[in-house]
Formats: sequence, structure tokens, C-alpha cells
Amino acid sequence: MKRILMAIVLAAISASARADDLVAGLSQDIIQITSNYTGTDIVAFGAVENMNVMTAAGPMDIVVAVRGPAMNMIVRKKERVAGIWLNNHGVEMQGMPSYYYVASTRPLSAIAPEETLKRYELGLDMLSADSTSARTPEIAEPYRQALVRHKLIEGLYNENAGGVEFLSPTLFRARVPVPADAPRGQYNVQVFLFRDGNVVSAQSTPLYVDQTGLERRLFNFAHQSPFAYGVSTVLMAAMLGWLSSTLFRRTS
Amino acid sequence: MEIYLPIAEMSVHWLLLFGLGGAVGFLSGMFGVGGGFLLTPLLMFYGIPSSVAVATTASHVTASSVSGALTQWRNRAIDLKLGGIMTISGIVGTGAGVWLFRVLREAGQMELIVSASYVLLLGTIGILMIRESLAALAAAKSNAPPPSARAQHHNWIHGLPFKVRFRDSRLYISVIPPVAIGFAVGVLSAIMGIGGGFLLVPALIYLIRVPANIVMGTSLLQIVFVTAASTILHSVSDFAVDIVLAAILIAGGVIGAQFGLRVAARMRGEQLRFWLAVLVLAVAARLLYGLLVSPGDPFSVANVS
Repeated sequence: MKRILMAIVLAAISASARADDLVAGLSQDIIQITSNYTGTDIVAFGAVENMNVMTAAGPMDIVVAVRGPAMNMIVRKKERVAGIWLNNHGVEMQGMPSYYYVASTRPLSAIAPEETLKRYELGLDMLSADSTSARTPEIAEPYRQALVRHKLIEGLYNENAGGVEFLSPTLFRARVPVPADAPRGQYNVQVFLFRDGNVVSAQSTPLYVDQTGLERRLFNFAHQSPFAYGVSTVLMAAMLGWLSSTLFRRTS
Repeated sequence: MEIYLPIAEMSVHWLLLFGLGGAVGFLSGMFGVGGGFLLTPLLMFYGIPSSVAVATTASHVTASSVSGALTQWRNRAIDLKLGGIMTISGIVGTGAGVWLFRVLREAGQMELIVSASYVLLLGTIGILMIRESLAALAAAKSNAPPPSARAQHHNWIHGLPFKVRFRDSRLYISVIPPVAIGFAVGVLSAIMGIGGGFLLVPALIYLIRVPANIVMGTSLLQIVFVTAASTILHSVSDFAVDIVLAAILIAGGVIGAQFGLRVAARMRGEQLRFWLAVLVLAVAARLLYGLLVSPGDPFSVANVS
């Protein structure tokens, strides 16, 4: 629901921009994960055209935000029960992104006020779930922070102030890291142009991360025909076992 | 060198995992065990998700056990009837175990139960083995014959009903013990990713009194089919079997096993058993530590399907 509203707002902004036209693109819009995929960087780039030089506005700031497919996650907290640490309480969170990267020309807090950042969900502290199983947001907050922390450690969430650089007065670029365990699916790359703490223009472009070739076929095989897949694994194991039994017969 | 595992959805150093499979295979060749009880915790320490570790290790145990079972088959050292009954009850047990595994996973307690079961299993076996191998080493030093366990000829098992004749083992006993043992091993196989030879062989020798020359082959037969069923059921229930990981581990394992067999011929049995016991206790201690010590971060995150 939030995202539909955001898309409408973005469209409205882009449509009504009288100056400061923003164009943006990606160095790659499809990333194929193959057997030797160890992560890659793509480049989000763009330019601000028809710059309104009459405006006595402050400096331009660009924010690039990349969101991976939304997932439902459960965050559990361990507590000591009878001397053993085990999972006791958990909060389910729906609609958190499986991957999140935000880069900007300056620290986000210097670019725009908190409510603006919150509206567009820019920044790790501004990420929130569509819904949670907790009774109040206060209860869910430490779990939300734990989720962000974990994703940060895994390399799936990242915030990079200064990650967007202007190569000329109008041309900018940002490197977006796509790690080896980036989830498959459709990602959304949003580029915002800020002036004076307001979004004056925005662009949105999709990015697809997909497995290719053998890895995709294996993944599909495992999920669509799990019985045949299990049998194939067993047959492979049996064959390798039989091979080793016959090839090395003299020592057994 | 990294390779991407499609089911575990992570990049791993394939050479490291090949070496891990080889090391576990080496140990299994040396001691004649499946190796699953070492491989699953080691995979978990490496960072492979527990469900993938348990499900994929089952196929590794299948491979090593097929190799051993075929050898015993060629020597006609298998009791098909006994093995068959235990296999059927074992597969039923595996089904129950996989169902229990899924229930635990959805309740968020699967890692706890797997770790705790391993601590109990490895701890008990490790302590028993240390005692046995130390006694054997001491006996060898003083040139005395090694101690052997002598149970009574007839125990309470022989009073149970539903007796059946097992020709190859020259036994006339109730079917209840084999069915129960097969079922128990099946459940453990599904939850822990082991073959269960550690439990099966002593149970067959001491409880049912199967002759020593038949025991290895018969238990290997059961382990082959039970771990195969475990692999297939885990795949269907949790999509947790990673065939690429399995291939790497098994390739390393079958090669390592051959080296293990050659080394075993040159070393003394008691020394091998002592060091295996030390290794088993070390893994148990590490798992226990993980359960008792306060975690750096009490929060854990999991995806919900």
C-alpha cells in the first residue's frame, strides 16, 4: 500500500517538474548468477538536464535507493531458559526488502528532514515493515533493528553517504554492490534529486537478478519436482558409491 | 575458488568443501563409519543453513554406505530378511523424523534440537569410546588380551512375542526389536542427517546378538535405504537438498575413504579409536559451548515462506 502511494507521488513529481529534469540509467539491468558468481558492482548513473539556474536554491543532492524483492521474515530472540539459550519470542515482519542499498551525495540527514526521508524510506533507520505480528511498534522496534543489523552484516543492507559522485556539474554516478547471495527477483532502483530538503525530481528503473543456466535449472528442478530431484541426488550418490567400490576393489 | 550453491543460495569455496568431504571420507574409511555425525556439525560451523546441512549430509552417507554395502554383498555377508524389516521400519521412522523436523523448523527450535541431540549422541559415544580405547591401549601395553564385553546368552529380548526365523543370522527372535531399532535409527537419520551405524551396530550385536560377520553388511543395507529415503523426503518437505554441495562432498568423500582404508591398515586399532573419540568429544564440546554460552547477538533472522 505504502509503495503504491510512493509510486504515485514519484510520478506526480516527475510529471510536474518544470526544470531540473532528471534522467537515470543502469550499467546493467539484468544480473545473471552463474556458478562462479561472487558478487558484482553495477553502476547507476544519470544527469540533471535543463538545470534551473534562476533558482536561488541550495546545492543539488542525488539519492540512489535500490530495493530487492519484499520478503516476510521472522526475527527471534534467544533467552536463557534452564541454563540453555534458546529461541523464546519472535516477531514476524511482512514486506521488508530482501536487499537494500542507499547511496547519496551527502549524509541523508544533511539532505532532507526526517519526515521526508521516512516518507520515501531512505536510510536504514527509515526502513519499516508493512505489518508486523507485534502488538505495538515499540515492541517490534528492537526486532526491526536486529533485522537491519543482520542484513548489514550479511552484506544485503547497506548505506553509503558519499556513494553518489558528480563527475561534472550535471553528470553523476553511483556504484551499487550486488553481493553473491543477493536474492533472485525484481529489484527497484530509484534516483531522487533533492533541493532544499525537497524531492524535485525522481526516476525509477527495474533491475533483475536471476540465476542462469545450470543453477536456474537445478533450482527450478528442486522446487518444482522435489521428489524426482531427491531421487536424482540419491542416484548420483549411489552411482559414485558404486564407482568407488568397483574402481578401488583391490583394497576393499 | 568459489562456486554458487543453488539451494543453499550462497557462494562457497568448493576446494574447502571438497577437502572437508575428503577428510570425513578419510575418517569413515579408517573407522568404517558413515561420517554423517561429523559432517553435519562441520557444515553448520562453516555456515551452511542447518536444514541444508542435515538433508545434504544424508546423501553423502548414502554414497559411503553403498560402497561398503556392495563389498559386503559380494562376500554374501548380509541378512536380507533382517535388513529388509529394519529398512521398512527405518523408512517409516524417517517419514516421522522429517515431519518432526519440519514442525521444529517452523517453531524456530530446529537448531536447538539438532545441536542438543548431537551433544547427547556424540558426548555419550565419545565417552564410551574413550573408555574402551584407553582400556584396550592399556591392555596392549601390558601385552594382555583386550577386554571384551560378554553379555548373557539370553536376555529379556528373547521373551518378546512375534518370533520370526532369520536364517542368515541363525536367529529365532521377535520382530519387535529389529522394527523398533530400525524405526529409531530412521527418526534420528532424518533429524540429524546421520546414518546411525554407531547405534545400529552395537544394538544389533548386544541386543539381538547378530553374528559379527553379518552385522556390518546388514546395517549398511539399512543405512543405504534409510538415508536415501531421508534425502528424498527432506527434498520434498523442505527443498533442502543441495545437489551441487552433495556432489562436491561425495566426490571428496569417496576419494578420502580410499586413503583412509590404506592408512587404517597401517595403524593400530586402539590408537585410531582413541583419536576418533577425541575428535567426537571435541565436536560435542563445541556444540555444547554454543548452547550454553550467551550468544553475541541474541536475535536471529529467518525467511518465512
